[in-house]
Amino acid sequence: MEILNDLMNYLPAAIVAIGGLVVMMQDGYKVKSRTIYSTTMIFLGLALVVATHDLFFAERSELFSGMALSGGTAAYGTFIVVFGAFFTVILTHDYLIGVKHNFPQVYPLLMFCTVGMITLATANDLVTVFVGLETMSICLYALAGIIRDKRLGVESALKYFIMGAFSTGFFLYGIALLYGATGYTRLEEIGAFTDGGLIYWGGVSLLMVGFFFKVSAVPFHMWTPDVYTGSPTTIAAFMATAAKTATFVALVLVLERALPFAAEQLVGTFSVIAIMTMILGNVVALVQDNVKRMLAYSSIAHVGYLFVGLAAGTVEAYSAVLFYLLAYTFMNVGAFGVIAYYEKNHDVHFNNVESYSGLGYQQPIMAVLLSIFLFSLAGIPISAGFNAKLLVFAAAVDAGLIALVVIGVLASAASAYYYLRVMVYLYMREPKEVVTLIQPKLVYSVSLVLLAGLTLYFGVMVGDVMSMLNSFFAVSEAATAAAP
Amino acid sequence: MEAPIVSSYIVMAGALAVLLNSAAVVVYVERRVAAFIQNRVGPNRVGPFGLFQPLADVIKLIFKEDVTPIYGNRTLHTLAPMFPVITALITVAVIPFGDGLFITNINVGVLFILAVTSLGVYGVTMAGWASNSKYSLLGGLRAAAQMLSYELPLGMAIASVVLFAASLSMVDIVNSQLYWWHVFVNPIGAIIFIIAAFAEANRTPFDLVEAEQELVGGFHTEYSSMKFGMFFLAEYMHVVIGSMLITTFFFGGYHLPFAGYYAHLLPEAGTWLKAMLDIAVFLGKTGFFVFLFIWVRWTIPRFKYTQLMSLGWSKLLPLSILNFAVIAFILMLIHG
Amino acid sequence: MFEQYLPIIVLIGIAVTLALVLMLISRLIGPHRPNAPKLRPYESGMDPVGDAKERYSVSFYMVAMEFIVFDLEIVFIYPWAVRYQELGFGTFWAVMVFLSILTLGLFYTLKKESKSFEMTKTK
Repeated sequence: MEILNDLMNYLPAAIVAIGGLVVMMQDGYKVKSRTIYSTTMIFLGLALVVATHDLFFAERSELFSGMALSGGTAAYGTFIVVFGAFFTVILTHDYLIGVKHNFPQVYPLLMFCTVGMITLATANDLVTVFVGLETMSICLYALAGIIRDKRLGVESALKYFIMGAFSTGFFLYGIALLYGATGYTRLEEIGAFTDGGLIYWGGVSLLMVGFFFKVSAVPFHMWTPDVYTGSPTTIAAFMATAAKTATFVALVLVLERALPFAAEQLVGTFSVIAIMTMILGNVVALVQDNVKRMLAYSSIAHVGYLFVGLAAGTVEAYSAVLFYLLAYTFMNVGAFGVIAYYEKNHDVHFNNVESYSGLGYQQPIMAVLLSIFLFSLAGIPISAGFNAKLLVFAAAVDAGLIALVVIGVLASAASAYYYLRVMVYLYMREPKEVVTLIQPKLVYSVSLVLLAGLTLYFGVMVGDVMSMLNSFFAVSEAATAAAP
Repeated sequence: MEAPIVSSYIVMAGALAVLLNSAAVVVYVERRVAAFIQNRVGPNRVGPFGLFQPLADVIKLIFKEDVTPIYGNRTLHTLAPMFPVITALITVAVIPFGDGLFITNINVGVLFILAVTSLGVYGVTMAGWASNSKYSLLGGLRAAAQMLSYELPLGMAIASVVLFAASLSMVDIVNSQLYWWHVFVNPIGAIIFIIAAFAEANRTPFDLVEAEQELVGGFHTEYSSMKFGMFFLAEYMHVVIGSMLITTFFFGGYHLPFAGYYAHLLPEAGTWLKAMLDIAVFLGKTGFFVFLFIWVRWTIPRFKYTQLMSLGWSKLLPLSILNFAVIAFILMLIHG
Repeated sequence: MFEQYLPIIVLIGIAVTLALVLMLISRLIGPHRPNAPKLRPYESGMDPVGDAKERYSVSFYMVAMEFIVFDLEIVFIYPWAVRYQELGFGTFWAVMVFLSILTLGLFYTLKKESKSFEMTKTK
């Protein structure tokens, strides 16, 4: 049966979906929170194994009568998303126990969210993109406000929901107009269409506005700082990494397969948005005292660097963007993880940079890990962040966008200030009040060490990943060339 | 296409006459049966055996004052009683009364029925909202919750019928029962449908909407005169319509039981005779279910609200979904 | 096609006219002598306390939301129920998966939100 064959190729999503249902029913029938957590870990672990296998061995093919893809970028996106979800669940469990809000609903929501992200990253049809985006977003709205007795959490959930619903309207209307202009919702069939009329461009613009909102590019970024600040810290990490990765993979796929014609015309737009996003993200991050808010603005800045890659629009640039997402997932989940650790020792509002004074000498391992992640985010050599930026900027230089790269490098240099400021407080300031940190759980510190290790590893070894990523697009180029 | 159009208007006139008169008849029958069950006499003064009692009621209602409570929403208050009457009247459009005797045979008849019956909830909710009275509001909200909750098992039960007929046309559904009525092959669906039809008509044991002891008159506390009369009329028309739908979906419509096995053995009847027989069979079954509605009302006590909701959501709905799945599986094995 | 729907339109017209006529008859014939106590909302003969339109329980909202989910499910079921014989077993299993996921959701809500199905007016 064809449908079973398709399901076998779509196994990570199926596992996570079934796991989500199982965990949901466990929650309904009041199973112990500890058991729910273990079940979640078993299913996500299984999905991670399958996703890793798919990443290296899966055939590139179309599934479900062309609605979804397997292999290639799809497998890559699935891997990052499941990887991010796996570590988010580990960190979230400890974090929520630490802040005494251990709601078991978090686990099914996280898993359904992951299913939505996988759908998004493997989409081959604008309808699938939309379904994945909404599944992901609705779960994220609920997750943002999961600590519902704190005002900030409720505020962030409501802001996220209202703005998200608004942007969904743009997105859907864009799909409708593109369908009206071309008669298709399948990506490559839209891609065959090169005669841009008013309806076509209207559709493209609205679709892009929807995407820009979801990845929080300036000027559609306003929700990001408030939502990240109000959400539980580890959930904010999930939003900043897995959600952004899934959306960016879909955006790259849409640009590369559905709108290659529009992408050429949109270089100017992408450049302007990249410049605005980099400058605004970095400048505003400079003056933030709240570390979570600082990381939120820094995530906006990173979207700016990613847009440099999108503006370049070459195969190397798209590969570099995908690599950037992988590196960003490692370092950002790690950074948020350490902040969550500091927070759960005190209370939810313990994230002013001044309260970090002198914490570097208590639990030195955590401070060292935070330093590694922040170095990587700042793009200092021998870290994944450095290589990611290097590759993106190199691709942009090859595409002739010299001015854009210069601005990017300057902005990146400015960013070093606010990342290093945290370390200054950690190591060089006298503590104002005595804060005792408890020993982190073994699994917590081990996963952070693992993330730090990966961050450093990809700071040295990028060749293999890049050749793999290039091959994704190379094959699809060949396939397009072969099928006239 | 000329002939069926003419016949459809004749049927329409007949159906409307039957429906409007039946409401009056059912009011009378209800009171007589209630009296019989409670060992009383019942109405016996107006006309022979009290037969003109409903007529007297209507005349009385017309001569009463029409009051809209202060601060109530006058437009909605006036609009509300029209909804149940209109929905009850237009439901007959797709019910077949005999072979070829229907107002119209559209290929989405079942969807039409679902759409129209679900409109009925608006009247009750609007009445509750527009009255500016606590009893009315609570009655209207309860009515909305109840009718929504029981629409789901109703819909699933009809879906299980559609599986047998493989068509959404009411005529096809009746004709698929030529040999076996659906009540024999789909008994659980039939029971669920009957229960849900009782709830949709707001009849005991589901008449919490107008539970006198708690809510006075429920959603029509603030209604008087013919506005109240229209709610009253609509309630009884819904009883008749509900009985017609039970007959059509599960009890073979105008077919006798197992008619397909022996129909050809019977002597050939003329067109008029056959039409009369079909209508008689259909109305006979409908009459029985109307009697069942009344019988249940005066025999079974009212549910509590929690019982009502838990019956609808945690018993009937899962049961109807399971019933649908099992029937679909068996039919797939037979035909697939 | 249109001929089939014409009787329905005629019927709706008749029904609306009938409802309007019934409404107007009592308007025209019945007396009209309003006074303040008559127009007050009925509260068992006492003076009304407070406004009728206050906040009511969120559980009604929950029921409405559940209803929308399952009503949509039924809408999806109908087209399949008409054509299931041609569509074969692959589609059958897909529909069954769809049904069972929603039924799981129903059980979850019933377990989790059992309070929502107890209709009481709250403060």
